[in-house]
Amino acid sequence: MPPLTAERASSLHHAITSATDPATEPGADPGAEVLRLTNVTKSFPGVRALDEVCFDLRRGEVHAVCGENGAGKSTLMKIISGQYQPDGGTIRYKGADTRFANSLEAERAGIAIIHQELNLIPHLSVAENIYLAREPKRGWFVDRAALRRNAQACLDRLGVDIRPDASVKSLSVAQCQMVEIAKALSLNAEILIMDEPTSSLTESETALLFQVIHELKREGVGIVYISHRLDEMAAIVDRVTVLRDGRYVSTHDFAATTVDEIVAHMVGRSLEEKFPERTSTPTADVLLSASGLTRKGVFHDVGFELRRGEILGFAGLMGAGRTEVARAIFGADPLDAGTIRLGERAITVRSPRDAIDHGIAYLSEDRKSHGLAVKMSVVQNLTLASMDSVSNRFGFIDFAAEAKAAKTYIDLLSIRTPSPHQIAKLLSGGNQQKIVIGKWLFRQSRILFFDEPTRGIDVGAKFAIYQLLDRLAAQGIGVVLISSELPEILGLTDRVAVFHEGRITAVLNTRDASQEEIMHYASGHSRPHASGAATP
Amino acid sequence: MSDLSTTTKSVPQSAREPGEPKARMMNDKKKDLIQKFAALASLLLLVAVFAMTSDAFLTVNNGMTIALQVTSIAYLGIGATCVIITGGIDLSVGSVLALAGVVAALAVKAGVPVPLGMVLGVLVGAFCGLLNGLCVTRLKLPPFIATLGMMLVARGIALQITGARAVSGLGESFGELGNGALFRIVTIGDDGFPNVVFPGIPYPVILMVVAAIGVAVMLSRTTLGRHIYAVGSNAEAARLSGVNVARVTLITYILSGSLAGLTGCVLMSRLVTAQPNEGVMYELDAIASAVIGGTSLIGGVGTISGTAIGAFVIGILRNGLNMNGVSAFTQQIIIGLVILLTVWIDQMRNRR
Repeated sequence: MPPLTAERASSLHHAITSATDPATEPGADPGAEVLRLTNVTKSFPGVRALDEVCFDLRRGEVHAVCGENGAGKSTLMKIISGQYQPDGGTIRYKGADTRFANSLEAERAGIAIIHQELNLIPHLSVAENIYLAREPKRGWFVDRAALRRNAQACLDRLGVDIRPDASVKSLSVAQCQMVEIAKALSLNAEILIMDEPTSSLTESETALLFQVIHELKREGVGIVYISHRLDEMAAIVDRVTVLRDGRYVSTHDFAATTVDEIVAHMVGRSLEEKFPERTSTPTADVLLSASGLTRKGVFHDVGFELRRGEILGFAGLMGAGRTEVARAIFGADPLDAGTIRLGERAITVRSPRDAIDHGIAYLSEDRKSHGLAVKMSVVQNLTLASMDSVSNRFGFIDFAAEAKAAKTYIDLLSIRTPSPHQIAKLLSGGNQQKIVIGKWLFRQSRILFFDEPTRGIDVGAKFAIYQLLDRLAAQGIGVVLISSELPEILGLTDRVAVFHEGRITAVLNTRDASQEEIMHYASGHSRPHASGAATP
Repeated sequence: MSDLSTTTKSVPQSAREPGEPKARMMNDKKKDLIQKFAALASLLLLVAVFAMTSDAFLTVNNGMTIALQVTSIAYLGIGATCVIITGGIDLSVGSVLALAGVVAALAVKAGVPVPLGMVLGVLVGAFCGLLNGLCVTRLKLPPFIATLGMMLVARGIALQITGARAVSGLGESFGELGNGALFRIVTIGDDGFPNVVFPGIPYPVILMVVAAIGVAVMLSRTTLGRHIYAVGSNAEAARLSGVNVARVTLITYILSGSLAGLTGCVLMSRLVTAQPNEGVMYELDAIASAVIGGTSLIGGVGTISGTAIGAFVIGILRNGLNMNGVSAFTQQIIIGLVILLTVWIDQMRNRR
């Protein structure tokens, strides 16, 4: 995607609204209040998800909503976007008391939501997605020329280089997001709700998104912004409202507060440090070594060593081959060449089963589709990789032993579940992640690949996972941490291998490395001596 | 791991989830019970209604007749349940049972002892299942297509090797499996005619109970069963947890095929004639019994007890409607509506 130029973008919202609906508030006051929720309450059987929550949004501002998982953010968003109806309280939208019966009504009134799980239809084209269910018609038929033309206009105004004929499944996540935004704008959205929009974007894609957000602000769109990435917010957010346990805590001007202060409000206490102190140092013995790992067209000649008790970071941009290397070592994808050694012994890994038998575990970045059997219970997920240790030699399960093992790991990892038999799907992201970790701890794995273990997890649960990584290392387990968040890499690892386009461009001692230096290698300046700053 | 437990206490307790609605806390087992209760309640309702409308319905004799009629749906339903739990489907069982029965009969006709011939029939079913499974796991064909192909192929072979004619003259011993019964009590009355005090438990019913209990135990209490659910719940997660997804999938198709083979032998034995046209559309009864019993076609969910109830719902509906003189056409309509209704109730319950 080429960078968005200011000239191309500046006209975007105005052009879209004026092109499609010239009557839309030509002179709307940019700072005017567009939405106000007062004492909104929403209960579900047995729980009060929102308790007298207040929230307001002005035109042309980005108002962030922060809170831990379960604080009520999504419920609030669903009320604003009409998916839920509040039990109590009032919603004033554009100066009038409003109650949307469903999300379609809210959408027609100008409130659009971009979900974390993007709601595009992969098999349809970009244009068909933007105008889904609103296709321009000629008689009974879709006017394909007009469809294409209108979609092209929307995308041009956003300044993104996406063909309207492109099939959505061929787009990157960031491009899909741009399509969603184009769709929202084609609806004349006056309020745009963005739920974790940057969670799967690279830094440059995030920068592009932020540029688009700036333009939307200038055009007077009010943006409700939900994110766990507080450090990014400075670039765009004007105000921030904090929720905790379904209650309203506070609203701040972003410029007049600090990230630490927001976090303190979120968790209801002060959190001095984001990362735990490392309690151990790695030993010299090599647990796992890889050399010459190659998968054609994906990664080439990758080699690294993992020591006992070490946390080794895999840094790099998205698509640099970090996940792919981990998956290949785990046997999930085939390798074309290369050797994997456990200590001195070369091993062959043809399937995940082989890797697991060698004590290697891989925690996928995509929990829901690769990590959890979502319809199965917490217990069943915890023991799935270790059925042989909770069953006799005829394959009959020893339910008492299984329950005991499950209880151990539920307690150990503080997995919050009403019952060990709860279906995994119904737990929060942090707890789901802990189940997957528990699965591999129970398997007594000695080498753990953690692929983006804290993605989409709230601050408190993140810290718990960081502490856990440290303790695992202290026990002599070798941990590989794949992360796109550089602070995480810098805060936790002993060494860091930097990937660029399928190769390791540098292996640095984390203590001596800086964020800039890692970015330098990650963006492909491969030769260590080419950079004056690099002294690994 | 023991030293972890002492230190992890300091993990922040902030991961509290007040947003967890209590209504969702209903766990697997309770849901399962409700599902079964609903199916069981409708089963009892059916029995009550038919008992009122027909005097002959609620008798031991008719009970055994129903049980006997249900057996073939139940065998196939048990196999179908396992396949559907993995997220697959087996459309071939109706044809496979015909092929298996015909092969068993031809073997017996050629001089093979009856028990051996029957075993051969079951093996033919298992082999068809193996081919289905290989098409799905190796050739990566969608299960619908793979088993649709087998449905045509098996039926074609059954018709070909018999010249589309029934195989008869199989001798009395061929009929023993389908028509014999355990604990049959017959007294000779004063008039010299035999008087059936207790019709006995037909062998097919005993086989059904054994198969149902065996597979139910396999699904709920063994590693293999756990893996079957895991594959259906999330095949990729199962693979990354070390489950041999291909092997587990293959086993379910072999099981389904074997049970189809058994069904074929039992059915042909009951008629003491092997019909290459037997079992047309039986696969749909099998799938229907699983679905009425709460098995999800998306995979990952299902129980044998549910399927057994589903098989009896279909069997009792047929029997009761017959006794009330409802035409076969109307019966189809009613059973179709029952399937729609039960699955709709199931969806409502899951949606919430």
